Amino acid sequence: MSSVVAFSVFGVDWVFLKPYIVLGLALGGVYALSGVGIVVLYKATGVLNLAFGAVGAAGALITYWMINHTSWPHWLAYTTCVAFGGAVNLLYGVLFGPAFAKRDPLVKMMGTLALALILLGLMAWRAPAGGAFVRVLTLPSTDHSYTVFGAVVNLTQILALAFAFVLTVVTTLFLRYTRLGTAYRAIADDREITSTLGVPVRRVEASAWLGSGLVCGAAGLLLADLYTSLDYSALTFLVISSLAAALIGRLRSLWVTMAGGLIVGLVQAILTPYSSVTQYRAAAPFVLSIVALLWLGRKRVVVFSPTTR
Amino acid sequence: MATAHAGEKQEGARRRLSVERPDLIRGLVIAALLAIALLVLPATLGSDWIKTLTSVAIYSVVAAGLVVLYGRVGMISLGQIALLAIGTWTATRLSFATDLPFPVLILVTGAITCVIGVLIGLPALRLSGLYLALITLMAAGAVNVVLTTINFPNGGGGFTGRTDAPNLSGLKPVARPDVAGSDVAYYRYTVVVCALMFLLALVHFAAKPGRAWAVIRQSEPAALAGGVNITLYKLWAFALASFMTGVAGCLLAADVGAPTVYGFPNQDSLTMIATALIGGIYTLWGAVVAGIFMQLVPFIFQAEWHFNPNFLLIIFGVGLLQVLLTAPGGLADQLPKDLAKLGRLIARPFRKRSAESKESA
Repeated sequence: MSSVVAFSVFGVDWVFLKPYIVLGLALGGVYALSGVGIVVLYKATGVLNLAFGAVGAAGALITYWMINHTSWPHWLAYTTCVAFGGAVNLLYGVLFGPAFAKRDPLVKMMGTLALALILLGLMAWRAPAGGAFVRVLTLPSTDHSYTVFGAVVNLTQILALAFAFVLTVVTTLFLRYTRLGTAYRAIADDREITSTLGVPVRRVEASAWLGSGLVCGAAGLLLADLYTSLDYSALTFLVISSLAAALIGRLRSLWVTMAGGLIVGLVQAILTPYSSVTQYRAAAPFVLSIVALLWLGRKRVVVFSPTTR
Repeated sequence: MATAHAGEKQEGARRRLSVERPDLIRGLVIAALLAIALLVLPATLGSDWIKTLTSVAIYSVVAAGLVVLYGRVGMISLGQIALLAIGTWTATRLSFATDLPFPVLILVTGAITCVIGVLIGLPALRLSGLYLALITLMAAGAVNVVLTTINFPNGGGGFTGRTDAPNLSGLKPVARPDVAGSDVAYYRYTVVVCALMFLLALVHFAAKPGRAWAVIRQSEPAALAGGVNITLYKLWAFALASFMTGVAGCLLAADVGAPTVYGFPNQDSLTMIATALIGGIYTLWGAVVAGIFMQLVPFIFQAEWHFNPNFLLIIFGVGLLQVLLTAPGGLADQLPKDLAKLGRLIARPFRKRSAESKESA
């Protein structure tokens, strides 16, 4: 113990907090990448995907089943989770996207709520959470751990943070410099005019669904590992933290969304060791979003919601 | 010009003097349904059913709050069940702390829940509807977390009103009103209070707030141009819905006696808005249908047919998609139309035959 020099800044013992900061950054990384997935889909299609958590949870459950009840190789199980996310989102986007395209953003959001309910029902029906029975899904990367700045970090945690960063960079560049990315931005501005310019609007939107779905599957996989147990209800409602990140980014800025996700994760984790607030730390997304909303509303600009159709 | 004006006046006078026929029929139907609910059902159904019907009434008031919010103003709240939990918690705490008569307890709970609801919604009301939906969803998550920690009061002291080592035999449930001690009497009491809440909503629809909400729902720029204070009336709707939900929470507290956080799972907030939309978000009839979907249908599946009610989530999801895409009025709007269509379909051969017989004659 004597080798550890406890240093404190602002009266906080940072050495003591290190493991929580690591956990917070890892969780924050997943919130950030989910948030980015949500914002990109919202920008391209106007759909705020509430089913993000549910799809990830369902994918993780399938992976769990494949690992524990079949003899198929594990890499296949992990790939299936990501592919499942992409497939479900793509299917929803292709089947219902066009039908909702001209509707109010609230109605579009409620459509994804329906998807979340269907998935929740399927999970509760096929894989009920029973009493003491706890599903645990551990990625192979969790076994590799390193020491960074005196804190023990496992590979999954590094992957989560790195993935969030890479996704944000790649998506930003993609939107800025590729034809497809330009098409996304054009559709976000005006869907009809974009389609008259010869952009295959439906196919472009489908690609947005597929992309965000793949992110969603990966996020589900990472969360199932980082979160102590694979509880589909908890995973489904972890979408709240990602939504908080998206909201902090005003459903617009990818970088602010990423920062928001990291902050939400960090605040949640850092509050863990303080016994007076530790039970309330899961309320962090709500509190941070309220603060963000007050900040957004500070200019007292009247923002009209589009006419309800 | 003058004659037209006189005609209008006459028309107006007639409308004032006589109750129009559809209104009369509607009034009679409501009276008959209330009579059935208050007199016939308690006499014919068992105690399980009466308890379930009590919750149906309570949850239909929550759904009525959503009718006010989304059906009238166009705002979506994904946290109504969390608000219901807040109402239940408040009522439980007040019931242990004070000796307020039950009607006063109902009003105080409603008022407190109203304030909390408004505080939650206030930051989002100035922004677009999407933000309100998000913030209420997050609030639902947060309330669930806080309630899991502090739990429902069980007669202890302090703010949380919870004692860790409760003498289980000494615990008394939340007091019911003196006139409604038994389950059946409490069911009747609940139905009456819930009917009053529906009436409160109806009064609002018919008065100035209702008109302001209608303009806001049609077009916010038009409302602004017309001099409607958008933020005030949105806030008013939110306050009304929160008040109604708080009242429902108080009724629920005394109904359950010893509420727990397990009675308010997170996903219920989602099923609530789904069933409200499926039932019909534009009329209060839809709210009743939503209450039935939330409470009675799962009960029938579980208790009567021994069927996992989680399966219903899938049906609600599919139903929600269908309502959003093809039948925005929900069941309350669609069912009468479909029944009328079915009636015409059945009547068609007979009508044709009678026409033929007339021709041949």
